[in-house]
Amino acid sequence: MKDMSSDFRDPELAAALRSALEPRGDHAAFVARVMAQYDHALDRGTVPTLDVLASWFRPGIAAAAAALIAGFLLGRAILTPAPASFDTALAPMEGQGLAALVTAPDPPDASVVFASLVEQR
Amino acid sequence: MGSEDDAALVARTVAGDSAAFGVLVDRYAGQARRVARAVLGDPDDADDAAQDGFLSALVKLGQYDARRPFGPWLMRIVANAATDRRRRRNVRRSEPLDPSLVGGGPRPDAVAVQSELGERLRSALQELPERRRTAVVLFDVEGYSHAEIARILGIPEGTVRSEVFHGRRRLRTLLADWKEQVR
Repeated sequence: MKDMSSDFRDPELAAALRSALEPRGDHAAFVARVMAQYDHALDRGTVPTLDVLASWFRPGIAAAAAALIAGFLLGRAILTPAPASFDTALAPMEGQGLAALVTAPDPPDASVVFASLVEQR
Repeated sequence: MGSEDDAALVARTVAGDSAAFGVLVDRYAGQARRVARAVLGDPDDADDAAQDGFLSALVKLGQYDARRPFGPWLMRIVANAATDRRRRRNVRRSEPLDPSLVGGGPRPDAVAVQSELGERLRSALQELPERRRTAVVLFDVEGYSHAEIARILGIPEGTVRSEVFHGRRRLRTLLADWKEQVR
């Protein structure tokens, strides 16, 4: 429901309210009081650039460390070959690699062991 | 400089011209102090809040949209500053109406009559919900439109109409009773 009377101002009420709410102190004194705080307000409102950078320091270090660890783990996961399965490791092995491994008088070369595994695949 | 429009003064203030900001403060001081007083009741608290509002506006001037009128933007900040101050300080409630003002008593002189009416109106205002009394003052005293008040108070325009209507009804009743008494 729209009240049409609220569309128009009431001069009598306005004058009475204005008088009732009239500030107590001097107008010029109030303006001077606000202007006295002008520089201080701007100083408070403006955060120096170095402060902004400083506020980023700790989160930045933490983010960089997290990224480094994540990168390391991801890289290791990609570069590490998948281990031979348990069945493969226990399966009877044949071929040159196995023979060389068994018959050699010296300790086996790692490449020979690797080759024997590859042959199994 | 006095006739320079608000947007130009804001632009000069943002550029670092403190005198331009001084003109804006001078132009809106009365309005800001009355609106703050409507919220807070106490004139000293109101001046503190009005000052907070001006200084807060100064810091936020970069956010002001020059295509819109400056007054409502500023009054929103002032009203918020007053509300914040009231909450922070838990401003004392308005004192109850002195019974001697309600009963007839000897007929005072004209100045006292005005003073007494002002006291009654302030008391009546403080009895209204904060949003309602602010809406009435912004509409009837400061001349803002319903749409502008809606933006200042952050409420729908229909709610502003309702608040103004109910607030005025209470104040008009008080004013009418007062006129009857002093006749």
